[in-house]
Amino acid sequence: MTLLGERRIGRVKLSQLQAFLGLIVVFILACVFSPVRRGELIFLDPGNLTDILRQVSEKGIIAVGMTFVILAGGIDLSVGSVLAFAASLSAVMLMRGGYGTPETLLAVLAAGLLIGAVNALVITKGRIQSFIVTLAMMSGARGLARLVSGGSGVEIGYGAGGAPQSFSVLGGKLGQFVPVPALIFLATVAIAWVGLNKTRFGRYVHAVGSNETASRLSGVGVDWVKFGVFSICSLLAALAGIIHCAQLEQGNPNDGVAYELDAIAAVVIGGTSLSGGTGTVVGTLVGTLIIGIINNILGLNNVDANVQLLLKGIIIIGAVLLQRRG
Amino acid sequence: MKANLTTKDGQARQNSRRAFLGNLSLALPASLLLTSACNRGGGQGDKFVIGFSQANKAEPWRTWMDDTLMKEAGKQPKIEIAYADAQQDNSKQVADVENFLRQRVDLLIISPNEAKPLTGIVKRVYESGIPVIILDRSIEGDSYTTFIGANNREIGRAAGEYAAQLLGGKGSVVEIKGLPGSTPAIDRSAGFREAVAAHSGIKIVADPVADWLRDKGREQAEAALRANEKIDLVYGHNDPMAMGAYLAATAMNRAEGLKIIGIDGLPGTEGGAKAVLDGKLDATFLYPNCGKEAIETAVKILNKERAPKTITPPTARITKENAAQFIKSE
Repeated sequence: MTLLGERRIGRVKLSQLQAFLGLIVVFILACVFSPVRRGELIFLDPGNLTDILRQVSEKGIIAVGMTFVILAGGIDLSVGSVLAFAASLSAVMLMRGGYGTPETLLAVLAAGLLIGAVNALVITKGRIQSFIVTLAMMSGARGLARLVSGGSGVEIGYGAGGAPQSFSVLGGKLGQFVPVPALIFLATVAIAWVGLNKTRFGRYVHAVGSNETASRLSGVGVDWVKFGVFSICSLLAALAGIIHCAQLEQGNPNDGVAYELDAIAAVVIGGTSLSGGTGTVVGTLVGTLIIGIINNILGLNNVDANVQLLLKGIIIIGAVLLQRRG
Repeated sequence: MKANLTTKDGQARQNSRRAFLGNLSLALPASLLLTSACNRGGGQGDKFVIGFSQANKAEPWRTWMDDTLMKEAGKQPKIEIAYADAQQDNSKQVADVENFLRQRVDLLIISPNEAKPLTGIVKRVYESGIPVIILDRSIEGDSYTTFIGANNREIGRAAGEYAAQLLGGKGSVVEIKGLPGSTPAIDRSAGFREAVAAHSGIKIVADPVADWLRDKGREQAEAALRANEKIDLVYGHNDPMAMGAYLAATAMNRAEGLKIIGIDGLPGTEGGAKAVLDGKLDATFLYPNCGKEAIETAVKILNKERAPKTITPPTARITKENAAQFIKSE
C-alpha cells in the first residue's frame, strides 16, 4: 500500500514537471515567433503578458473548479451556462434591480452554489452519472439565463441610474498593469491548492477519484465529497460570470458557449487525468496559460483564422503528449 | 414576448369561436391548428393567418425582427400571426413549416436558418399554393413569392466609404471579422475592401476573426492594438465585436483618436445605436430587420396585389447626430 502511494506521488510530481515543460516550450516558441518592434519582442511586453493573464482568467477560474470535479472522477458540463446565468443575473440586479455591488456578488455566488448543490444532489441521490446531470443543467442554466435577462444582453452603464462604480473594479486594473481578474484567478489557484493539498477534504477528493468503492468502504463520506466538488465548481463558474459581466460591461445570456470544453482542455493539458484521482491545480494553471499564450501569439501574428484552429489543435495534442511521456 | 401575446389572443378568440361552431374536427390538441382551420378561406370579414417561422429567437437582431413584425401585424386588423421558433435547428424549422402547411395557413413568412435544408419544404409550401415571403437568408431556386433581405455587400461598402471619410483617405485599419464562411462576414468584408481600395493611403493592417462575439472581439482587438503601434480605425463586422474593440482600446489607453465603426444598429439598450449615442462607437450601419417590409408585402399578396420578387431594404448610417432619433423611432 505504502509503496503504491509513494509511486503515485512520484508520478504526480513528474507529470507536474512535464506540464511545466510544455509551458516552457510554448513560451519559448512564442518568443521566437513574436513580432518585433524597435528591437523588442512584443510578446514579452509587460502589457501583453498581463493581457494574456486577463484573457485567460475567466476560463482559468472555471478550470480550477473543474479540476476539483475531475479529480473526484466526475465532469461538469454546465459551467458555460452557469457563467452566462451569473453574468446575466449580475447585470439585471445592478441595472434593473438597483442593487449594490456586495448584495449582487453575494446573491450571484449563492445562486451558483445552489446550482452546484442541485447537480450534486441529483448525482448522489439519483445515482445518475455527472455527465448526464450536468448536461441537463447546461440546458437548464441557459434557460435561467435567458429568463432573467429577457433573452438578450443587459448592458452595464455606470453613474446615475446605472451600476455602482465599485463593480467596475472587478473588470479593471490595479495601477497600470495588474488586471483584477488575473489577481482573482491567481488567488483562486492558491486557495484551491491549499484546499486540495493541505486539508482532509482535499485528500478525500483524490481518494474518491482513485477508487470510489474503496473510499466508501474506508469510511469516506463520498456523497459529501461530491457535494463539495460540484458546489465549488458551480460557485467558481458563477465567480467567472461576475468577472465576465464586469469585463465586457454586459450580461449576455448567450455567452459562455463551449467554455466547459476549454476548461476541460486546460485541466487535461495540465496533467490531470480524466479518469480521476491524479492531477494538480498548479497543472491547471499551467494548462490555462499554455492555451492563453497560443491564442495570443497567433493573434499577434494575425495568423489566418482557419490555420489558427488547426495549429491550436496540434499544439494542444503536442502539449498533452509532452506531459505524458516518460 | 410579443409573439406569445399575439398567439394567446388568437387562442382566446379561437376558443370562443370553437364553442360557437361546435365542430368536433376542431377539437385538435394544438391551439394553432384551431386558429388556422377556422380561418381557412380568408373570406370577407374573416382573419388571415400568417405562419411565421423564425430561425432563432435567441439572437438579438432576430428578436428585433420579431418585435417589428409583430408590431406591424398588430396594426393590421385582418392579420393574425402563428409563430414558431426553430432555435437554430434546421430539422425543427422543417417541422415547424410542415405544421404550418398542415394547418393550411394563408401565407408563410420564413427566415431560414440555412438555405439548403429548408429549400425542399419551402418549395412544397409554395407549390401547394400558399404564398411564401422569405426574410434575410434566401433558399435555393426561386420557389417563393418574395425575398426581402438587405445587401451586406452594400452595407460593407457604405462602412468602407465612411471609414475613408473619417480617415481623410489615410490611415491604418483593423477589420474584425464575423464567423468565417458565413455570408454576412464574406459580404461585409468584400464591400468594405472594395470601398477602401480606392484610397491608397488606407491599409488594413490586421483582420482577425471574432465569430461575431464581444469577448472574442475584445481579445482580438487587444492583440491587434498590441502588435500595431498606430491604429486609426477599427471596423467590426457587427456591433458587439466593435464594442469589444472599444473595451480593449479603453483598457489600453488607446481610445484617444481611434475611430470605431460597426454594423447592425440595434435600437435596444444592448444595441449599437445606443453605443453610438453614448460615444462608444463612432458610427454603426443599420442592418434592416425586414419586419415592416414583410407585413407590408404580406398585406399586398393577401389582397391579391402584385408583389416584387425581391425587396432590398436600404441601410442607414447611424452617427451621434441621428442616433437618438433612430432609437426613438423604433
